[in-house]
Amino acid sequence: MNASASASLSPTRRRGKKIPASRIVLPLLVAVAFLAIWDGAVRMTGSDLFPKPMEVVRGIIELIEKGLLGKYIAASLFRVTWGFSLAVFLGTPFGLMLGWFRPARDAFNPLIQTLRPISPIAWIPVAILWFGVSDVAPVFLIFLASFFPIAVSAMAAVENMHQVYLRAAQNFGLTRLQLFRLVIFPAALPQIITGVRIALGVAWLVVVAAEMIAVNSGLGYLIIDARNAGKRYDLVVAGMVMIGLIGLALDLLVRQLERFDEVKWGYGNR
Amino acid sequence: MNVRNTFVITILIWTAVITVVHGWLNLGWDDLKRRAAAEKRMKIGFLPVTCHLTCPVTHFINKNIEGEGHFEPVRFSGFPEIKEAFLSGYLEATFMLAPMAMSLREEGVPVKIVYLGHRDGTALMVHKDSRIFRIEDLRGKRVAVPNRFSNQRLLIFRALRDRGMSIDDIELFELPPPDMPAALYTESVDAITSGEPFMAQTELDGYGRVLYLTKDIWPNFISCVLVVHEDAIKNKRDQVQRLVDGIARSGKWIDQTIDHRIQAAGFVSKNYYNQDPRLLEFVLSKPPDRVTYSNLQLYRKEFAEIEELGVAAGILKGTAHFDDYADPSFVREDAEMTPYVWEAPQ
Repeated sequence: MNASASASLSPTRRRGKKIPASRIVLPLLVAVAFLAIWDGAVRMTGSDLFPKPMEVVRGIIELIEKGLLGKYIAASLFRVTWGFSLAVFLGTPFGLMLGWFRPARDAFNPLIQTLRPISPIAWIPVAILWFGVSDVAPVFLIFLASFFPIAVSAMAAVENMHQVYLRAAQNFGLTRLQLFRLVIFPAALPQIITGVRIALGVAWLVVVAAEMIAVNSGLGYLIIDARNAGKRYDLVVAGMVMIGLIGLALDLLVRQLERFDEVKWGYGNR
Repeated sequence: MNVRNTFVITILIWTAVITVVHGWLNLGWDDLKRRAAAEKRMKIGFLPVTCHLTCPVTHFINKNIEGEGHFEPVRFSGFPEIKEAFLSGYLEATFMLAPMAMSLREEGVPVKIVYLGHRDGTALMVHKDSRIFRIEDLRGKRVAVPNRFSNQRLLIFRALRDRGMSIDDIELFELPPPDMPAALYTESVDAITSGEPFMAQTELDGYGRVLYLTKDIWPNFISCVLVVHEDAIKNKRDQVQRLVDGIARSGKWIDQTIDHRIQAAGFVSKNYYNQDPRLLEFVLSKPPDRVTYSNLQLYRKEFAEIEELGVAAGILKGTAHFDDYADPSFVREDAEMTPYVWEAPQ
């Protein structure tokens, strides 16, 4: 079986089909209920520190008027793009290599599994010592956070590959390079893409921690800066809201990769 | 097109686009000459607290008088980050807690204190409804300090000692100053103490009450000092001298009239601290000697006292002394240092 054969078996049913109304209405209802509970809770407790949703909206408008929101979003996206891209371009081949060469896996896996659970926040002091407080330090932290999910998923993808693909390929007498290019990589791709999707989520997740380093732009910086600014918790929450919304957009974007036939066959059973 | 090519091409194009946008919006790529000049200048670390006020004030006045600042102020959010940026060599000079600088010297870091940043400027706040009215009432209470190396900790240590108590009679927490007001508001701690304006904020917002101001229990209290790397002292003497002179003159300018304090509150909160100007105005004027910026020379006796308290409080080893961690050679005769003649544009 190969990717294109599998793709032709599962017709692209959803493409061009109208999205059912419930998929728009239900999330909207949940969002409205969430905002109402938030607003009600702040009013009930009479807190004058925690902002109401409208105050957060006004905070976001203030940031737009000052021309800061665009700048901060660009800065955060810049750092996440570089950290994440480096992780993809280095982590994928590294993971594939580990999955394919057993001795390499035996050698590196314990180190990877030791480094993987260390939070990027713990790396902050090291990052500042190594890179000062330029853009490199946050990029490094985001790279670290996203490298491991990608490398590990690529490794697991090769490891867990059906032996039947390999045997069939060997019967056809493929060379090692052909085997890798035509069989192993396509077979591992769906799982790699899943890893990439998780990694992008993690990369965006650590942007606040990464920007705790004294950079002077970015959505994470906005949150730190608002804490320094006294009673500006509306801006703290505004930063959180923007991070959440952009995270949602990024996830929707990466999901588009799953539409490709070479990836979709891996999700064929859903 | 297959998924791999689409993905790679999209990432490459996106990376190029976002890099240019970020460079344009945040890194000043639209004015490379200015950026190159800024890169060459000495970077000085500071926090948005009144203890470091002379840093932005000197920079702003320099810039207004001469068109460009002598140095590049870099704002941080906490002392650990400042310390690490200094250790990495990114910062050649910075404002820092005096005991932290002394401790770094003890650890062998080539750091020298060249000038003070301010005097006084710390308060210990309790919740307005609390039953703490005297320092003795702090017994068994939870008190937040910014850092173990903060002079605020030494201040409590001294205040308790003077009353026959010890630091073990209270429960100490380390909490970043920006988080202190919220902690006091929710009464998750009983008392907070750090540099301003975070203490004044609790007063301004109506839930904090001053238990003591530093000037009442340790007059001429020193919390933050200007430290410089020994390499910069050797190789950039002129720049360090200009910096120290600038701080001396801007300090005197701030203390000259109450109007200068209000002006400083305005331009510093807008251009450097990103805080509500009313907050800085409040700290700098109510009362005006809550924090002061004159008389910033280094006195051996004062540092000996900090040393002694630091050792007693267990944060210093007592292996470094004034001549090791201080270099008073940049301090000029006080009379020579006249306040800047300058008024902030309306």
